Amino acid sequence: MEFSGQTTIKAPRERVFAFLIDPNLVGRCGPGVESIEVIDDRHFKAKAKVGVGFISARFVINMELAEADAPSHAVIKARGQAPGTAVDATGTMDLAPGDEPDTTVMKWGANVIISGMMASVGARMIEGTANKMIAQTFDCIRAKLEE
Amino acid sequence: MATEMQRQTTPEVGGMGHSVKRKEDPRFIRGAGQFIDDLVLPGMLWLDIVRSPYAHATIKSIDASEALKVPGVAAVITGADLEKAGLHWMPTLAGDKQMVLPTHTVMYQSQEVAAVVATSRYAAADGVAAVMVDYEPLEVVVDPHKALLPDAPVLRPDRAADKQNNHIWHWESGDRAAADAGLAAAEHRISEDIYIPRIHVASIETCGCVADWDAIRGQMTLHMTSQAPHVIRTVLALVSGLPEQNIRVKTHDIGGGFGGKVPVYPGYVLAVVASLTTGKPVKWIEDRSENLQADSFARDYHIHAEMGATNAGKITSLKVSTIADHGYTDAAADPSKFPAGLFNVITGSYDFPNAFVEVDGVYTNKPPGGVAYRCSFRVTEAVHAIERMVDILAHDLDIDPAKIRMDNFIQPEQMPYKTPTGWEYDSGDYPRALKLAMDMIGYDDLRKEQAEKRARGELMGIGISSFTEIVGAGPSHDFDIIGLKMFDSCEIRVHPTGKVLARIGVQTQGQGHETTFAQIIAEELGFPVADIKIEYGDTDTAPYGLGTYASRSTPVAGAATAMAARKIKEKARHLAAHLLEANPDDLVWTNGKWSVKGSPDRSKTIQEIAFAAYTNHPQGMEPGLEAVDYYDPPNLTFPFGSYICVVDIDKGTGQVTVRRFVAVDDCGNIINPMIVDGQIHGGLTMGFAPSLLESMTYDENGNNLAGTFMDYLLPTAVETPAWELGKTTTPSPHHPIGAKGVGESATVGAPPAIANAVVDALWHLGVRNIDIPLTPQKIWAILREKGVTA
Repeated sequence: MEFSGQTTIKAPRERVFAFLIDPNLVGRCGPGVESIEVIDDRHFKAKAKVGVGFISARFVINMELAEADAPSHAVIKARGQAPGTAVDATGTMDLAPGDEPDTTVMKWGANVIISGMMASVGARMIEGTANKMIAQTFDCIRAKLEE
Repeated sequence: MATEMQRQTTPEVGGMGHSVKRKEDPRFIRGAGQFIDDLVLPGMLWLDIVRSPYAHATIKSIDASEALKVPGVAAVITGADLEKAGLHWMPTLAGDKQMVLPTHTVMYQSQEVAAVVATSRYAAADGVAAVMVDYEPLEVVVDPHKALLPDAPVLRPDRAADKQNNHIWHWESGDRAAADAGLAAAEHRISEDIYIPRIHVASIETCGCVADWDAIRGQMTLHMTSQAPHVIRTVLALVSGLPEQNIRVKTHDIGGGFGGKVPVYPGYVLAVVASLTTGKPVKWIEDRSENLQADSFARDYHIHAEMGATNAGKITSLKVSTIADHGYTDAAADPSKFPAGLFNVITGSYDFPNAFVEVDGVYTNKPPGGVAYRCSFRVTEAVHAIERMVDILAHDLDIDPAKIRMDNFIQPEQMPYKTPTGWEYDSGDYPRALKLAMDMIGYDDLRKEQAEKRARGELMGIGISSFTEIVGAGPSHDFDIIGLKMFDSCEIRVHPTGKVLARIGVQTQGQGHETTFAQIIAEELGFPVADIKIEYGDTDTAPYGLGTYASRSTPVAGAATAMAARKIKEKARHLAAHLLEANPDDLVWTNGKWSVKGSPDRSKTIQEIAFAAYTNHPQGMEPGLEAVDYYDPPNLTFPFGSYICVVDIDKGTGQVTVRRFVAVDDCGNIINPMIVDGQIHGGLTMGFAPSLLESMTYDENGNNLAGTFMDYLLPTAVETPAWELGKTTTPSPHHPIGAKGVGESATVGAPPAIANAVVDALWHLGVRNIDIPLTPQKIWAILREKGVTA
């Protein structure tokens, strides 16, 4: 599944970038995140509870900051597992200065592959749910930066 | 030669032709059946399975440490553990390699990866949730056509160096050159791609077992859901090294088999290993989603068919090429010589001067496929293709589909008939069956009604299917499974009081064998059905048999039962001669008695004779009255029928309604008409289901999208039409009681009748073929495309 979008954040690009590559900050915006463990500056691990329709599962997600070109470009790769289900996702974020001063335009893309029970049983609802969760994640990032 | 049978016995005796009430039903109606999950043994452990979320991935590591901390978890078994004992893989019935637990690579979504054994079902499930497996996903191959492309990843690198591709086997039958020449010379030629989708047997009871290892006695008892317990015992002996006499496979009541309980699934093997390891009984029961996602599948044939004919509609040639999707391993439960089953019965009920058929088996990242789901080894696929093609030809040439069939049928006087692909049809009267179906449904009036409705813009279709089945595998010169010849057996013991215990080599999973096999004995020997007990499914007691599938029970074990009874009848004649002080040659058999020819008063009933066998046998004769027969059939049997279906299609929604369905079946002589009707009702419903509802689909990542009954639609009584049954009787000339087998006829015959009816309703719009299932969504899209609906 491919998702993409664009949002304007009322914060300077450097601050947005710093937020995005900090697992403790960006991690809290992930859907259903319950805890975050930093392994090193490029790797971290999250635990999250995610539901699709009537199925919900607690995922252990290994994340890697795969690309970080400050202050314009970052790629985060994630592989999550729950009993019988796996998620492989790549999130790409490109930052450009906004038209207004101290604003940033974030273009984001996400490639999400869901495998196993949740894909099988939740197929009818999965795209809508994933779309909603991703939108919520980026809304959260924007809101936290604008606080 | 067997002839059409008239009832010989009274209703009290209940021989052939009587609708005797099923002896098994009182316990089922009272909820007193004993199914595998009802079995609880002292100290029993439960086994649950960790399954792969990925359809294709490398297993980097398995961490069981958290699972082992779960209260109640006794053990976690991985592929690496099994590899030490050489038990990580097993041969499939088709001789391919199936992993019990993979050591390196998972090959389909929901494949077994590890097993957890615990003191309760709940603890086992908690343990499963706590096993962490680290995977590295690999490229997934879902489409068998893509699997054959040169750049496709090789799914089975474990195969020989010259087989580093995804092609499993090629199989062909008939004369390619003759078919090509016939097609080239044909006045009219049609060509069509027909896909028969993957479906699942979806029996009400899922698979399961209780493995019970007795270390002191060295005895393994495997209680399990199997359609072929003896084969399982032999395979288990060969794979495990346990001596075969110390393995007892025992079935209990089985809630539907339909082919799905023929294969050996990893769960069975895991339970056996877990019991051997722990020394305790271990139970494994699949849940519904595991059953739907991981067990063997049926169909999945991508058929390309070409047919030649004269402009007057005389069929001259047939050529068929098929890609068979077998998933990641070829687990087809077909006889060894027939990797594509009996698919080459594809010339059907028609007199083809030539035919050629070829099938190529292909690997994909799906569960192992190739189970004969109520289809007599790929006959469903063959019948669907030929019946669709004949209908397309009829419409193309503007000839009535009934007439084109009548004009091309093999005629009764041509029987026995050799087909261009090598079968010898034993008997059949196809025109009679179609004529009866047409009369029952009022065919000519329906065609008039259809013309009127079409003029008004209403969508009504009439579809015919005149199928020929091929069942009763089979003769030992051609038929074996893993080398075991496909004979079957019966052992009859007559007790001194004139009561009978008979044990049969076949299993029953709902067919009613406890009743019908008793009726065969009642017919042959005159014992009332009530006095005859039928046992099966315990390999310690039942004679060796190959099991129940492909409609083979009556054709093979039914024949064995009649032959064993005849051996008893012959011994009874000598006993009677002794009792009557007559010459055995002077005795005649009538109504359960041997009597002196011309003096009917001087007679002995079978019950009197049975008593004498234990109390007053002549010197020089063995006492007792028992017989056993292992029957090697001389040929297969060929049931047939003609079905006619009438559909109405809602223009707004694309919904297909089956308004009427007439099914005329000919299964030779009938043992129990009520049970045959039940078999046909069930079979028709199981043919209706994939025609309109069922299909096992996968997304591009290999996720099964039909893993629950919410997505895998089964018909209930609400959706199911009222079936109208008719019959003709053409006995099998070589079967001892002239029977043919009926378990799968309706499943085989129904789908093309429904598909033909739907296409018939839409042909005038330019529709030539629609692949089943004919869902409202599919039909609606066509109606939109054709401008019929907005």
